[in-house]
Amino acid sequence: MNWKPNSLALFGVAALATPIAAYAKIYVSVEQAQQLLLPNHVLTKSPLLITRDLQEKLRLASSIRHPFQGDRIWKAQDGSWFIVDEVVGKHEMIHYAVALSPSGTILGIEILEYVESYGYEVAEETWRRQFIGKSANSPIKLNQDIQNIGGATLSCKHLTDGVKRVATLYELALKNQAPKSP
Amino acid sequence: MRRCKPLLGTFVEITINDPYSLHQLESASRAVDAAFAAIALIQHLMGFHQEDSELSRINQTAHLHPINLHPWTAQVLVAAQEVHQHSNGAFNCGVGHRLVAAGLLPQHPGVRAHQFGGIEDLRFLEPNRVFSTRPVCLDLGGIAKGFAVDQAVQVLKNNGIKSGMVNAGGDLKVFGKHSQVIYLRDPRQPNHLTEIGELKEGAIATSSLYFAKRDHYRPSFIINPFASPTNNPYIEFSESYSVVAPDCLYADALTKVLILSAGKTPSCFSHFSAQAIALST
Repeated sequence: MNWKPNSLALFGVAALATPIAAYAKIYVSVEQAQQLLLPNHVLTKSPLLITRDLQEKLRLASSIRHPFQGDRIWKAQDGSWFIVDEVVGKHEMIHYAVALSPSGTILGIEILEYVESYGYEVAEETWRRQFIGKSANSPIKLNQDIQNIGGATLSCKHLTDGVKRVATLYELALKNQAPKSP
Repeated sequence: MRRCKPLLGTFVEITINDPYSLHQLESASRAVDAAFAAIALIQHLMGFHQEDSELSRINQTAHLHPINLHPWTAQVLVAAQEVHQHSNGAFNCGVGHRLVAAGLLPQHPGVRAHQFGGIEDLRFLEPNRVFSTRPVCLDLGGIAKGFAVDQAVQVLKNNGIKSGMVNAGGDLKVFGKHSQVIYLRDPRQPNHLTEIGELKEGAIATSSLYFAKRDHYRPSFIINPFASPTNNPYIEFSESYSVVAPDCLYADALTKVLILSAGKTPSCFSHFSAQAIALST
């Protein structure tokens, strides 16, 4: 082990702390996540119109108020699903992908990007929009060099709610679209 | 390459620094998949929330009959006993019932209404076979995350990865020839960062309550194992306590020892080649 402490931090001086207005980490693109979660599958985009009734049921099941967007759903030939969604918390926004088997079992979850901010900016639609559609190959330059952040463990509860929402979407809307056996 | 998955109740991030060409990308990807799978296995074996985990079986029946364990579970329990012994009891995983009482962990049927023992009551009949002299309600939340980080690093190395980092929501380990600048969150404002140093081939773990307190009003999840059954065992604090050590398992466990000593470096730290960092508020 080789540890070179910053001499000022040794005195426990948190006063040196610099604020991060917001930072974003882009892990993988949608295409990369498709490869990682459903390798060797040909995926076809399979958008779904989310009715007001379905939106309300998803909200009740997951307690997420931010509406689900039905245009980020893909289907594989064997009936597996690949769904991209995001959770927008008070302090962070997380884009993630979930792969479901034809019977709705969660095959894997991959975080696409994680944006942390001092709260209010995240809620701003325009502020959020700047991150959407960026890929791992064109990461936004926003405190990009700050990567190795230690500290108290951050809970992934919001994301768990998000995955619950995707599972509910399968039950209510995707299940019945499964390929009919000949 | 950098990937992230939700595991162990937090975000686990794996970074690989090795330069690779396109055809090596697939094998690097497989190495990362294997590392995530190892962490998922640890969650399955040692999770308190899962009623069918090996940990839950220990809590349900280890005082009734011996239990066969996966070598990793045994390894974590042995390490937990080692830290317990060297810290004179300041680190003890036998506090699960206190966390259940506070609503921080779920209540399982079959584990209730006992006078619980602690980690010191476990006896190993064989390296992977254990029984308990008293009923226990162990929670490995204070040590298993560090172990998971260590194991993930080991899996990456076994798969030919030379340099990288595994960060489980703030407890992290750096391996290979690259040193990494480490930032810590300011306990007063967790969106402010302090550069605390440069780490190579080592681990750092942190305990603080800023996220726990931000998101809900519950008692602290840091328990004083010396508190009598009638005393309030929840330790409330506003500082951030970090431990740098060669392995993340020990760094993770020793943060609790550091909290109990209120930031004064405990004497057992030299035994574990550990260093303490306290950020005050």
